[in-house]
Amino acid sequence: MLNAIGKGIEFIGGCTLFVGEIIHSGFRGKFSTHEIAEQTWRVSMQSLSTTALAGFFVGAIMTVQFTMQIQQFGALGYLGGLSTSGTIREIGPLLIAFMLSGKVGAFTSAELGTMKVTEQLDAIRCLGSSPIREIILPRYIAIILSSFFLLTIGLFMSIGGGLLLGMFFSGINYEEYLRHIPTIVAWPSILIGLFKCLVFSIILASICTYRGYTTTGGAKGVGQAVVNTAVATMIGIVVADWVTSYISEAIQNFFLGA
Amino acid sequence: MLAAVGIKVINFNFHLIGVLQLIFQTLASTISPPFRIKDIFKQLNFVAVESAPIVIFCVSFAAVVTIIESSFHMKIVVQNDALVPGFASLLILRELGAVVSALLITSRVGAGLAAEVGSMQVTEQVDALKMLGIDPVRFIVVPRFIACLLGGFLLSILANIVCLICAMLVSQFSLGYTFGSFIVGMKSFVHFQDLVFASIKGASFGAVIPIFSCYYGFKCKAGAEGVGLATTNSVVTTSVAIIVIDFILSYIFSFFY
Repeated sequence: MLNAIGKGIEFIGGCTLFVGEIIHSGFRGKFSTHEIAEQTWRVSMQSLSTTALAGFFVGAIMTVQFTMQIQQFGALGYLGGLSTSGTIREIGPLLIAFMLSGKVGAFTSAELGTMKVTEQLDAIRCLGSSPIREIILPRYIAIILSSFFLLTIGLFMSIGGGLLLGMFFSGINYEEYLRHIPTIVAWPSILIGLFKCLVFSIILASICTYRGYTTTGGAKGVGQAVVNTAVATMIGIVVADWVTSYISEAIQNFFLGA
Repeated sequence: MLAAVGIKVINFNFHLIGVLQLIFQTLASTISPPFRIKDIFKQLNFVAVESAPIVIFCVSFAAVVTIIESSFHMKIVVQNDALVPGFASLLILRELGAVVSALLITSRVGAGLAAEVGSMQVTEQVDALKMLGIDPVRFIVVPRFIACLLGGFLLSILANIVCLICAMLVSQFSLGYTFGSFIVGMKSFVHFQDLVFASIKGASFGAVIPIFSCYYGFKCKAGAEGVGLATTNSVVTTSVAIIVIDFILSYIFSFFY
């Protein structure tokens, strides 16, 4: 037990130092914007279909659950507003982060781990360049950028899924569904969603690049790195979700005086 | 464009047939002897006991967020948060406990299984089993299938209990509801069906995990890249499958309340 906690602390410390190194390398020399754009395109296109599919079904699930709960109070008119607000503030960013951690996080750590165990990263260093600046920095920035695109797609798909189920399952027409979205979803909610998405993607990018960069030991080591990345990102995201919820609640109360 | 879509559709059908074949083989081997009890318990230890700390940790954080968010929404719609205990406990029992614990098991157990089976495939251990006349499905997949089914069932119950206790603690400290009022609020909303449906959800999510992990593990291509790719694919496919199955089950269960 103590051993596991020590390992966790060691992991967090190593990860923080590694992120510092990445940021430092970004300021030190020039990096190619072309590579960043290419990586962003690749990451976005890779996870587009899974994110869209998951977003659609999550919107549908939210609508079914909310319908069963608020039907008893005759408040079905609020259905669209409630499920959209819940998705934007909470479920959307969390879901995108979970999907990205499965798809992009695991893929990136597998790719970097393969490069590491086949000594490609050492080859780059031999050629007089820095593997952190050439390989890792573009991926780091690309994951953060593309998470925002994917968040947008996922949110629109979830509104679509909610709308469809609202029409066929709960029996309210689409005007009724859409009418309460602007009254319940306010600007602070959207800002909180974006803030959460930013924090999750930073955590995800840090963990997967760090774990990929420190892979050792052949094919089995790469598999181990992927498993560790998936678990560590999940835990990091859930804890960050809690922290950001508290922070955003405090800020909201401070400014709105509630 | 059209050709790319066509290739994707053909690949999808190919995968679908493979997965269905694996499911039927697994089910057929599960209900017929010999039963490998010792292996099942070993896998159950890996699936349930060793995942329990992570599940408890993450689910307790999720409970805090649920209470905060539902209080926010209740304040908008009905102007007070008196119904938060009932609504939040319904949400936890119907969705959150089972889905969050299943996604966590996917990332830990599913990825681990895919990496393990993939390494076995790459180092030709699966072929060695076939040479010895042992059915790899019966030897590798079936113990993991049963262990994950039982483990998903047990972990979903554990996750629900922990989540509800944490929700009680949070509503005591940040909203000011005592344990008694939380339980009274919960009792007026939660029925016995909710518990049964939550455990059914947990068991079916658990059963999905080893099928996809072992399928991608058996399909693993040689080399370090192959193992990484197999693990990634299995995690993604399982997560999407869990969300889709969750929708289907929620839809079916909604007619039984």
